[in-house]
Amino acid sequence: MDKFIIIGERIHCISPVIKEALANRDEAPILERAKAQLDSGATYLDLNIGPAERDGEELMQWGVKLLQENFDNVPLALDTANQKAIVAGIEVYNRSKGKPIINSADAGDRLDNIRLAAENDAIVIALCSKQGVPRDNEERMQYCQEMLEYGMGLGLDESDMWFDPLTLVIKGMQEKQVEFLEFIRQLSDMGLMSVAGLSNASNGMPKEVRPTVDSVLTAMAIECGLSAAILNPNDKHLMDVVKTAEVILNRTLYADSYLEL
Amino acid sequence: MTFKPDPQTFASSIKEVSFGPEGAAVTFGGSNVLPFYAFDAPIAHKPLVGIEISDKGPDRELPALAAFYDGANTLSEIAARACTAPGADFLSLKLEGADPNGDNMPSDEAAALAKEVADASVLPLLVQGVDNVDKDAELLPKVAEALQGKNAILMSAKEENYKGIAVAAVTAYGQKIGAESAVDINLAKQLNVLIAQMGIQQGNYVMHLGNSAAGYGFEYLASTIERVKIAALSQNDDALQPPAVTPVAGDAWSVKESLVSEADFPEWGPREQRGIEMEISTAAACLASGSDAVILRHPSSVETIAKLIAELV
Repeated sequence: MDKFIIIGERIHCISPVIKEALANRDEAPILERAKAQLDSGATYLDLNIGPAERDGEELMQWGVKLLQENFDNVPLALDTANQKAIVAGIEVYNRSKGKPIINSADAGDRLDNIRLAAENDAIVIALCSKQGVPRDNEERMQYCQEMLEYGMGLGLDESDMWFDPLTLVIKGMQEKQVEFLEFIRQLSDMGLMSVAGLSNASNGMPKEVRPTVDSVLTAMAIECGLSAAILNPNDKHLMDVVKTAEVILNRTLYADSYLEL
Repeated sequence: MTFKPDPQTFASSIKEVSFGPEGAAVTFGGSNVLPFYAFDAPIAHKPLVGIEISDKGPDRELPALAAFYDGANTLSEIAARACTAPGADFLSLKLEGADPNGDNMPSDEAAALAKEVADASVLPLLVQGVDNVDKDAELLPKVAEALQGKNAILMSAKEENYKGIAVAAVTAYGQKIGAESAVDINLAKQLNVLIAQMGIQQGNYVMHLGNSAAGYGFEYLASTIERVKIAALSQNDDALQPPAVTPVAGDAWSVKESLVSEADFPEWGPREQRGIEMEISTAAACLASGSDAVILRHPSSVETIAKLIAELV
């Protein structure tokens, strides 16, 4: 089993600081967050520029170059609904440290992003949903198969499709959590890559509760075989849990200072 | 059906370490395959063989060893002679006289001896500790100072004394060090982490994962070396990627097979041959487990192991 892959989520236009920095092409706040996430163990950085309908292409290229030039060609997840911006970003993307990830496709309106990945030799995050929340794992698996078939038909390697089981909020969909974990196990048993944005599960919970929920769910998902997660690497408790899970699953050798690595 | 090879190479590799003075340096490590798996990918650098001498001189009761060192009486002469042994890649000095449980020679004197040896040697030099953390903490920094410009490896930086040794040897005098743990895979990693946290870069330290003679709890050592190597490559764990140096001579020549006289055990044959065989079997097993360098005492063992390596790489 390969090491758990962490995609840092903090360069996201939902954050007012980042939104402003993107709008003004202000490098400092973006570089600061990028460095903090990489120092804490992120492998990939997610670059979310929002819908970016107006200047998406130019903005994505600016962001890709900014991050890769400053951080030794760090691999990136290009996160926007604007397809042209994704293609523009890939044009200037340096692959020496890993392929770009397109974030994201689904089995519905965004199916075309799988084609985009195939045409650009990229990885694609494929959400196992079509419209709204999948009813059950049968439905999740049906979408997964549809996307897998579509992607492979276009020549995409199955290891370049990272399936997202769709994390559901616990407050309101508590009864769906076990199925969510079971689906990760199914993907793992099929030898497919999986990825999840796990912090969605604790949405709406009090601030002091969220870190505990996030880290416990992450540990459980890793045990089920989750390959990657989009998360906040600057949440030390969460990262400590990830590192400990890796030790317990014997994917990394224990040393007394393992939490410092 | 034709055979289709399926090479098992790794994205990560063992770090390279070079030691010895400019123009005479050797490099080892660098490989990205399991030991001797030359069919998977070319081995970057062949494992090295060191020849060990002691400040107390060779055991002249062993006829072939006495003949090899015949006429070499001073430590400088012994060092120069050792360098002529076929197959020897580096010289290893054991400062036995500095052992506090023996003659307890002052560290300054011992460091001066190390300098003498380095000056007489045409091969890169490695200096072993005296198996006493307090004495090593005092001795090795002095050796590091005395050997300026020699780019030597100083072994035996342990959990208890690595800080002073690392600072003096690497930071102040540009030598390399050996991080020593006693057959403990977790401690081996931890020690490397601690050394790295002092700002010592990869390429400046090797690992000494412990020692033992074949038949004497050796499987613990072999499996430790093997597990370290596999984790270094398959998990891309850079805290386990320095090359491993295994001193074999000390243990191989201290076990019953190498010590009891032929008079007491006539059916075992000559003592010298037994010692050589202990060295060869232990060293071959260490190399097969993943050691990147071994240290042997007898020129016959050195030659045999060097030939084994040359045939396999």
